[in-house]
Amino acid sequence: MTSSPSETETVTHPLQEFADNVAAAVGGVAEINFDTVKVKVPPDTWVASLTKARDELGLVFFSWLSAIDWSKDVEVGDPYPLEVEERYELLATVGDLTVGRRVVFSTDLQKDLPTIPTLIGVYAGADWHEREAHEMFGIEFEGHPNLANLYLPDSFLGNPLRKSFPLLSREVKPWPGTVDVEAMPGGGDEAAEGPSEENPEA
Amino acid sequence: MVLDQDLVRHLSEASVSVELETEDMTLNIGPQHPSTHGVLRLVARVDGERAFDVKPVIGYMHRGYEKLSEVRTYPQVTTLVNRIDWVSGYANEIPFIVAAEKILGLEVPERAQYIRLILTEMARISSHLIFMASYPLELGAATPLFFALRERERVLDLLEGVTGGRFHPNFNRIGGVKPAYGSGSSTRKVIQDLPAGFLTETREAMDKVLEAVDEIEALVAGNEIILARTKGIGILPPEVAASYGVSGPNLRASGVKFDLRKVEDYLPYHLFDFEVPVGENGDCWDRWHVRLLEIRQSVRIIQQAIDGIPSGPLQAKVPKVIKVPHGETYVRAENPKGEMGYYLVANGNQGPYRLKIRSASFSNISILPWILEGVLVPDIIAIMGSLDFVLGDVDR
Repeated sequence: MTSSPSETETVTHPLQEFADNVAAAVGGVAEINFDTVKVKVPPDTWVASLTKARDELGLVFFSWLSAIDWSKDVEVGDPYPLEVEERYELLATVGDLTVGRRVVFSTDLQKDLPTIPTLIGVYAGADWHEREAHEMFGIEFEGHPNLANLYLPDSFLGNPLRKSFPLLSREVKPWPGTVDVEAMPGGGDEAAEGPSEENPEA
Repeated sequence: MVLDQDLVRHLSEASVSVELETEDMTLNIGPQHPSTHGVLRLVARVDGERAFDVKPVIGYMHRGYEKLSEVRTYPQVTTLVNRIDWVSGYANEIPFIVAAEKILGLEVPERAQYIRLILTEMARISSHLIFMASYPLELGAATPLFFALRERERVLDLLEGVTGGRFHPNFNRIGGVKPAYGSGSSTRKVIQDLPAGFLTETREAMDKVLEAVDEIEALVAGNEIILARTKGIGILPPEVAASYGVSGPNLRASGVKFDLRKVEDYLPYHLFDFEVPVGENGDCWDRWHVRLLEIRQSVRIIQQAIDGIPSGPLQAKVPKVIKVPHGETYVRAENPKGEMGYYLVANGNQGPYRLKIRSASFSNISILPWILEGVLVPDIIAIMGSLDFVLGDVDR
């Protein structure tokens, strides 16, 4: 059920050919992360790439659109362990409705000017997803008719899913608490006692 | 009779300002409304008997799970995702846990996978039974509710017996499942399997569910009023559904034979024999009927799984404190409401770096402005109800 990571280059992933075809068609770069095909495209071909995906590659189903805030400094949670380039990565996942192929299209947006044309003309369902990304990450979608907040009050300041946005409850009470500071068991016998040795809070 | 001069002047002014054309009225439905399954507001412009420019206003149930999961550990996130679609809480856990297991490269024991599959299908049955109950109720038929809820209790009791929770099982662990039976007591370390008799009781319950489904079908499918209110109403063409991301039974009702259980490998569905029911016209009736047919298929899957469930451990060997190595993946599953998926970015620590939650109902109700354009006001409820959404699944 679970498969090995795509990093092992000795075995070709069954989705490799499909990923390469998509990348070639839209002029992007394909990668396969744990059975998920991701195709990186430059922001200026964003709409054209998704149009091709819909019209030529049969990826007619619009699954979702969102973003990742890649930051060196994070106000909440833990930072990413590798060196990251400061950017917003915009993701849009589309799929077919026959054999179950799906592609995550990805493009990088500058942090100081996160602007990109809207996808509404290609996939009507992008409307709400772009509103959400606008609200949560502050990404501007050019040509979107109504970028009003979906969830938060109109007077809300800030973009909550940015890594620079603190979580008030964590400011008041730091994390991890006393029960979560146990060291990772060092493998071997201790690491595998079965389910009875689960998390202390269980 | 002496007329008050002021009153005469007032009446004459009033008659001048009366316009002969009809005015559009703005109709507000919600936020609290019995038919909205949560807190949803609709604002519609009503011209005569028809509704135009319908604007759904969501966000009343927004709990910020995507942000919260960045400061929670993986076992804690499981408790959050239970509460997304609370009518089928169990099913929400699966794609999240599978995403973490994929990045960890964990092999889940077969018995655990079978148990996950059985309980997921039970969650689907209980979710669809709620729809069997609530949809005719919204159209004015109260009787099916009693048949459907009686069976739903049967299924939920069994779910509760295994997991300890009716709505929020929190039953999956990275690497397997954890039966609640005996947990917290001195027997905790001894009993590590399903409660005694669970499989037999489930088999009996499934037979009863099938009987009830037949009864409900006879009640509803033979009701002329329900047929008149649902057939040909709220037709959703497959192309429109796809471009809005409408998934699950709503998509299949429009004739698209696409089920993630057939194409994804998050649970071993390929081992079982089942059909994917589709509708013909994509109207309200098809959306109701497809779900009814899906209950029968879920029962089939459960019966086969009970026959074939292997013995063995319920958990892979995992460390006490689980840290998922850095990496990203998207895992999606066929939930009762449609495609539910998680884009997980793990950072090698105890919690996610980013967790995008793709919930079915959010995309399913984004179709509302399109599908409600120009419909009769009483059909608003008929169409909205047929989409079977849960507001927790919309707002997350």
